[in-house]
Amino acid sequence: MKRLLPLYAAATFLFLHLPLLVLAVFSVNESRFTIWQGLSLRWYKAALEDSQLAEAAWNSFVIAIAATLVSTAIGALCAYGLWKRRSSFLTGSLYTTLVTPEIVMGVSLLAFFQWMFRYLHLQLGMHTVVLAHVMFSIAYVVIVVMARLRTMEPALEEAALDLGGTEWDAFRLVTLPQLWPAIASAALLAFTISFDDYVITSMVAGVDSETLPMVIYAMARRGANPVVNAISTAIILGLGALIVISERLRKT
Amino acid sequence: MTRRTLFLMGVAGAAGCSRDTRPRLNVFNWSSYVGPETIPDFEREFNVRVRYAVYESNEEMLARVMTGNSGWDIVFPSAYLIQPMRSFELLAQLDTNRLPNVRHLEASFQKPVWDPELQWCVPYMWGATGICHTRQAAQPITSWADMWEPEFQGRITMLDDPVDVFAACLKKLGYSINTQNPDELRAAQREAIEQKELLRAYVNAEVRDQLVAGDVLAAQLWSNTAQQAIDEAKNLAFVYPEEGFLLYADNAVILRESKRTDLAHQFLNYLLRPKVAAGIVMGARAACPNVSARALLPEDTRDLPTLYPSPEIMARGEWSLSSTPEIQRLRDRLWTEVKSA
Amino acid sequence: MTTLRRLFLAPTMGTLVLLFFAPMTIIVAYSFLTRGVYGGVTGEGTIENYIRLFDSLYGVILLRTLALSAVATLLCLVLGFPLALFIARSGSRKNLYLQLVMIPFWTSFLVRTYAWMFLLRDTGLINSVLLAAGVIKEPLPLLYNNGAVLLGLVYSYLPFVVLPLYATLERIDNSLLEASADLGARPWETVTRIIIPLCAPAFRAGAVLVFIPCLGAYLTPDLLGGGKTVMAGNLIQNQFTTARDWPFGSAVSLVLMAIVLVLMIVAMRSQKEDLL
Repeated sequence: MKRLLPLYAAATFLFLHLPLLVLAVFSVNESRFTIWQGLSLRWYKAALEDSQLAEAAWNSFVIAIAATLVSTAIGALCAYGLWKRRSSFLTGSLYTTLVTPEIVMGVSLLAFFQWMFRYLHLQLGMHTVVLAHVMFSIAYVVIVVMARLRTMEPALEEAALDLGGTEWDAFRLVTLPQLWPAIASAALLAFTISFDDYVITSMVAGVDSETLPMVIYAMARRGANPVVNAISTAIILGLGALIVISERLRKT
Repeated sequence: MTRRTLFLMGVAGAAGCSRDTRPRLNVFNWSSYVGPETIPDFEREFNVRVRYAVYESNEEMLARVMTGNSGWDIVFPSAYLIQPMRSFELLAQLDTNRLPNVRHLEASFQKPVWDPELQWCVPYMWGATGICHTRQAAQPITSWADMWEPEFQGRITMLDDPVDVFAACLKKLGYSINTQNPDELRAAQREAIEQKELLRAYVNAEVRDQLVAGDVLAAQLWSNTAQQAIDEAKNLAFVYPEEGFLLYADNAVILRESKRTDLAHQFLNYLLRPKVAAGIVMGARAACPNVSARALLPEDTRDLPTLYPSPEIMARGEWSLSSTPEIQRLRDRLWTEVKSA
Repeated sequence: MTTLRRLFLAPTMGTLVLLFFAPMTIIVAYSFLTRGVYGGVTGEGTIENYIRLFDSLYGVILLRTLALSAVATLLCLVLGFPLALFIARSGSRKNLYLQLVMIPFWTSFLVRTYAWMFLLRDTGLINSVLLAAGVIKEPLPLLYNNGAVLLGLVYSYLPFVVLPLYATLERIDNSLLEASADLGARPWETVTRIIIPLCAPAFRAGAVLVFIPCLGAYLTPDLLGGGKTVMAGNLIQNQFTTARDWPFGSAVSLVLMAIVLVLMIVAMRSQKEDLL
């Protein structure tokens, strides 16, 4: 038993990581088939030269940054408000957004936007994607910031109030400085979630708001394409780095 | 970093992104349905930017366009969708004075059944739905009934298209593909469900790679996609089934929501130019309704048997037409049931 | 105190109302309306959409969704428990192992699902290796079936059971384990009779954490199942896009939401710690 457990754990880790390792290895494969033909960066070059990919990546970045800024701001403030006094309605609602299947959230937003646009003469586009991303990111931000708030001493804020400060002062000068690492961690998490989203984005994207996951999905559906391996590896490394930094910030 | 530094960097970054001020045209077309230079040439000549995206099925296109504010200017519905799209006020009426190149079309395509005055659409490419298969298959394939043979288990595909799949089933049973008889449609649906176990998938043009690689032995396919596959793998062949087959024509239309109708008309007129149409045929390998363009094609492409079958074979073909609303509802319902079974 | 707090909570409240409750209300409304001829929604009220859903044809999809989710959850629990046990006992390297489990999970769901497509397809790595080694003569149909979907689900959500199980395992008082050993139990018996029962709440928590996302899965069955309507999520997406039957799709969405909400409430009642 003592020996079985580490073996089993090793096998499970392999299971968890093998697919990604395989992708990475074959992204530098010279051949377009699954036969090893030597190291090559040609697929990365092809990915960089693809204008559709470049535009989609740019869109993904812009959307993720916009959605992150908004959702982190809103979510951090919300976490603080909930920390001060609980609201089971708000907490319950946020929980509900977490468990709602992505496809259901996507179709409901599509239905909502299309219904609204009849009166507002707007179209699906970058703005609708950003709104959708803000919606599903808030709960994550609240969780991360809330976790940090729970470890903090409320007495410190009370002391600030006793010393004659306003609530806003107490928030700004006492709590907020300690909260920055958690807020940054939440922001990175929100960025990752937004950048990677496919399901909801595909439902509410417009003509000019194709994102990177949408392009990858189309290529994956179309068949074996080694360029997908290259982009995938790049994404894993990029988002992986962000998540590692996010984790470090969360623990400070 | 000071705030000032960050601000200046931001300004520099924003200034670096040059804005493209050329007029835009959004074109939504079937995949692999233009020549490599068709769009770039248009962009250069008219000094515009074309956003060109592709779809794999009429349903996919219709789902986006149905809402009335999809953002697309030009799409390419099949003939049977023209009348329904008109009834839903999705189409912009065409100004025939701005489309002088229509005269290059074959006479029958200048007065097609689905739009005799060409007020709503311009025929683009036409074709037939048949079976593309590997010659290695043990049994020769000559009819739709052959696609129901158990030995093909898991190696055959049908199109992800209700009109095409039901057309094949109806022909197998000896009915018309445009039947308005609910019993005949239900019988066709039963055939489809029976066949589903043998299928690898319902898939459109994406099956081309699998045919070429030999993973799929036979696929219900459009004639132009089949020709593209045959170009890549000589062991493939296209057959017009004995029982009969469906003929389709894809048309370019301008969506009513489009705010760029002038440019859109120019684009449609451009597509009708003989040289441009010939370029499209070379890229898309489709049958062309443009007589002048066909004259420009190299001989081997001009008379490809896959695209231009003999009159005897053509006689077995039936043009696909639209259904009454009740029958359309029934067809949609039956198809959803087939896909979910 | 309350003004500032209200101000802080208002944006979230507003976002929720506008981008969650309003859209869901529209979906509820659509589910009771009729489909237009080519799509769209007409004003006629009906409950036909719900009746259609429990018809045998679509009922199968719901059952398959429940079944696949249940099996995936079971597999995750069975496969995840020993891993959590290992990490809990690994002393100084605990955090490293935990990160090794969690970090890939957070990178990209789409890419990780695609990775399995790359491995399992006819021309994929597994088939290529087996063919080259002469073990098989023709490629195995590993992709585009329920098994591949199950594999994808387990792979995607396994980390979700590891965390709660690890958290509970870490807290188990060592003296209990020592007592068990002293009383003559073999390691195997200690695990089954002491550790696993103590972990019951964690098993429940982990089960819920896996079951709910599996119910709503769309991307995994879509890519690994071959674009067929394998699970409820695929049916919903199909109805809102190519099938253009928004009322029916809305009905399916609401039924799925109802199941998910019931599970969530049950889970929250039995959980002591809250995330929020």
